[in-house]
Parts: sequence; structure tokens; C-alpha cells
Amino acid sequence: MVSNVTYLANVVHPVQLGILISIYFFYTGLSAGSFVLSSLGTVFGIQKYKPIAKAGVIMAVALLAIAPLHLIGDLEQPQRFYTLFFRLNPHSAISYGTFLLTLYPLNSLIYGWFLFRRDFATGAQELTGFRRVLYKFLSFGKMDLSKAALAKDAKIAKFLGTLGVPLALMVHGYTGFILADIQARALWHTGLMPLIFLMSAMVSGTGLLILVLMFSQRFLSPERTITPERKSLLLDIAQLMMWFIVVDATLMVIDFIMLYFDNVAGHAAAKLFLYGSHRTMFLGVEVGLGLLIPFIITLLPKTRKSLGWIGFASVLTLIGVIAMRINFVIGGQQIPLSADTLNPYTADPKHLIMIGIFALLEITILYLAFRFLPVYGLPKEKVQTEL
Amino acid sequence: MTEKKRRWAMVIDLRKCVGCNACTVSCKIENNVPEGVYRTWVKEIEKGDYPQVTRFRLPRLCNHCDNAPCLAACPVQATYRTEDGAILIDYDHCIGCKYCMAACPYDARFINPVRKTAEKCTFCYHRVEEGLLPACVTTCVGGARVFGNINDPESLVAKLVANNPVQVLKPEMNTQPYVFYIGADQNIMGARYDNLEKGEQ
Repeated sequence: MVSNVTYLANVVHPVQLGILISIYFFYTGLSAGSFVLSSLGTVFGIQKYKPIAKAGVIMAVALLAIAPLHLIGDLEQPQRFYTLFFRLNPHSAISYGTFLLTLYPLNSLIYGWFLFRRDFATGAQELTGFRRVLYKFLSFGKMDLSKAALAKDAKIAKFLGTLGVPLALMVHGYTGFILADIQARALWHTGLMPLIFLMSAMVSGTGLLILVLMFSQRFLSPERTITPERKSLLLDIAQLMMWFIVVDATLMVIDFIMLYFDNVAGHAAAKLFLYGSHRTMFLGVEVGLGLLIPFIITLLPKTRKSLGWIGFASVLTLIGVIAMRINFVIGGQQIPLSADTLNPYTADPKHLIMIGIFALLEITILYLAFRFLPVYGLPKEKVQTEL
Repeated sequence: MTEKKRRWAMVIDLRKCVGCNACTVSCKIENNVPEGVYRTWVKEIEKGDYPQVTRFRLPRLCNHCDNAPCLAACPVQATYRTEDGAILIDYDHCIGCKYCMAACPYDARFINPVRKTAEKCTFCYHRVEEGLLPACVTTCVGGARVFGNINDPESLVAKLVANNPVQVLKPEMNTQPYVFYIGADQNIMGARYDNLEKGEQ
């Protein structure tokens, strides 16, 4: 290759899909991961995971209610977003995503309702005050608590959950395809991308579920404590997380080996992440903090039995997966298509503010849901004083 | 022989390009392109060591590909192809998702900061429809830019493509571009990856 080439004039092409899109991928991943965990008990019939089914579905719905706001916020013409529903392009991953992002939360919502109906109906009859009114409303008048009715609920929930698992996989698989379909971007254009996104979704979904379970069981459940059964289930979920980390890391290793032996742009991308300026974000944060340390924590007998360590590992996986989304979305566009330097990226302050607002909204929704919905069964005392 | 459908194409004879950027300026004026963004621009490199050193130029614009990745990417069919092969954007329907910009291997697209939609070279379709040439072609000082119907064997573009070794940008992307170059140096046709981070900070 001729090496003595100097670029004298060219136009700068800044990165276009930025932090909002990265965080959108993060939310969708969390949602898909939570849903799959919720389905372990209800669909796959693994009894020990039944207690987390409700928590999982609440997270899946709450996260996917907020996720698309990031997409709309990123549009230059946000008021035109609804045209996505009828001006379809069968070649565009986004057209498929529009419907997946609509159907999946709706399906999850109905699935969740069938998981909760028994508690709504019981609560509407046994409780007093605010919760009685709320549960009566949420039961939509379906108060039948007979064995046959409850069996029917479980059957429908299983059906919707069975439908929901492929939907969840498709919702997050499609986000991988959004990137993988783009032949122009060396870092994105791999068949592994949807799988990498799915596995990182499972890692982060498990991580957040562990944190939400810990917090809500301790402070919002009727017992206000993490009982020994709950603790053993949390530790068990952490072991699941360890295996998700193993698969995720394996895919990442395969991806980067392939990238290293790819064409000139792919090789440049691999070098940028392995020993270029992105090595801290990739090897340090995404791989080191996000995969390696949580793996060690969930592997060592001493730390894997401690809720504190498990919680710490879960926080790290979330940080790691956020870094992964940013690395792939923004880093992928920084590899130039016509220039001789990295394409620049500066986060728009408006976008950062939006992310903050959406995150607050998300935390509020999750808090209210875990506070007022019978995620862990009904309050023990029949008389509730709080309003 | 049956007459083939009209297909607009451009040939840029780089042996005649002097790098004056008149095309860049005329495009800006003709299409009211805001500051900081370009529908066409001229890339310039220097190759070799003194005294064996030469400058090479590469006018850049949308390639109006036959297999356009932007067309496949657009989720609202705002990007479309005219009957004569030009790729255009319906500004009233573009939602500004920027997916087309990620998909284009040629960096041809940008967001118009005033209109807030995607934008790119249209081959000056509004002029071509009236029987005029694109602004960059009429203004090209050296006569490097040639525009016409490549399916008409009598047209200058068809003759130039037939009688010269021509190149297109990134043929490996299977985009089938309709902007052909004569005399393009391979060091200017794509990106350079040997020292990506020199420009940082």
C-alpha cells in the first residue's frame, strides 16, 4: 500500500446515530431479558422461577414503554413518527421494528394481566381503601376465583408467554439487524450482531432484575425483607447471569477474531477497539467491568453466595452493557467511509437531557408498579392505612 | 434494437479536474444548501514525496446507485427512485431517522440543519426535468463532469464509459453506482485506515 498519502481537503461526516440510539438499545435489551426470565416459570415450567414471573413482566412492559421514546426523541421530525405505521418498507429493519415494538409490549401487558388477575380479584374483595379501588378497577370486573377460572388464567398466560418469548427475541434480534443490515459499516455488518445483542440483553436483563428484586423485596414487598427462599432464588439467578456472561463473551471473542481477519475497514475497527483509543471503553469497561469482574464474582464460592457482591456484579453488568451499546452504535460509525480520521461524535446536550428525563420516568414507573401492584402477593394486613 | 429506458449517469474525467471547487459552490447556490453541509464536494490528496509528488482530486456526490442501500434502509419510503434512475428524497415524508445516512457507504447524505430532513445530491433533478444540465456540470471549468443518459449510445456519458477505463467507488458493496470516474487514484476512492487517530484532539 502506498503510505505517503496526505489528505488535503475533505468534508467531515460526524456520527449521526448517537447516544439516544445506544440507550434505546440498552432499554430494549433490558426489556427482552426480563421477559425471557419471567417466562422461565410460566412458559418453561421451571417451578423455582415462578416467583419472579410477575416482577419480570412488569419490568419488560415498563422498560419497553419508555424505550421507543428515545427513538422518537432522536428523529429530526418527531411529529412524523406515526407514519412509520403505514408508510412501510419491507427492506427496512426499522419497519419491522415499528410493529415489534408495538406488539411485544401489548402482548406482555395482557400476559402480565393474566398473571396478576387472581391477586386483583382477591384484593378487590379482601382489601380496603385505595388498593381495593385500584385492584377492582384493574381486575376489569373479572372476579371469578374458582379453580377452573384460575387454571384458565394460567393456561392463557402460558400461551401469551409462549408467544412473548419469540416476540422478545425478535424485538431484540431486530435491533441487532438494524446494525447488521448495514453493509457499509464494518463493525456492524456481521451475522453475529443479533446474537450478540440478544446475549447482552440477557446479561443486562438479569442484572437489572436482580437489582430490582433486591430493592423491591427489601422495601416494597409485604414482608419488607429478603427471605431465605428469596435469597437463594437471587443467588440462583446470578448463576444464570454467569452463564449468559459466558455465552456473551464467547460471541464477542468470535466476533473480534473475525473482525481482526476482516477487510481493511474491519481490521481497522478491531485495532481501534483492541489497542486504539477505544480500548478503555471496550476492554476496560465493556469487557473488564461488564463481563470479566461479574463473571469472577458469580464464579467464586465466597462472593457468589453474598447478596452484596451479587448486587455489585449486577451494577457492573449494566455499566458494561451500556458501554457495549455505545461502543457498537457510535464506534461503528466512527470508522470512516471516506475520510482518513475517525468520524467525530459530540453528544447533543438536548439528547442527554432527554435521556435523563426518560430515566427518571422509568424509575418512577417501576417504583409505582412495585409499590402498588401485588408483585409479591397481597399485603398481609387487610386494613391498609396508606393512601 | 429496442430503445432502452433512460438512465441518468455522470462521468467525471479526473484528468480534467483542476480542483477549483466551482461545482461545490454552484451546487450550494443552486440547491440552497446551508453552511457546513455539502451535496457535492471535492476531496483532495497529495501522494508521494518531494520531488515526486502529485495532487489528486475526487469530486464526490450521490452515486444514484442501482442497488441503493439508502433506499432499502428508509423505513417510510421517503427515499425513492425516479423512472430514470435518480434517487430522490421526499422531504415532506422524511422523518429524519438518519438510518439512510448510516447505510450510505459514500457519506453522500446529511441532515439539512434548516429543513431537518435527510438531503443529498439529486442530479439537479429540477433542472434535468426542464432539459437543463446539473449545476455542477454546467459550471465545471475543465469540463470534467459529464451528465447524460447512459442508455443512449450516442450520449457523451455512454461514449466515455465505453471508450475509457472507468472506476466506480466501492464496487464491492454491490451498490452499482452511476457516477463513473476516469483516472481515479485508488488512494482517494475510499477511506484511509492506516493512521485513523492522528486527527483526534
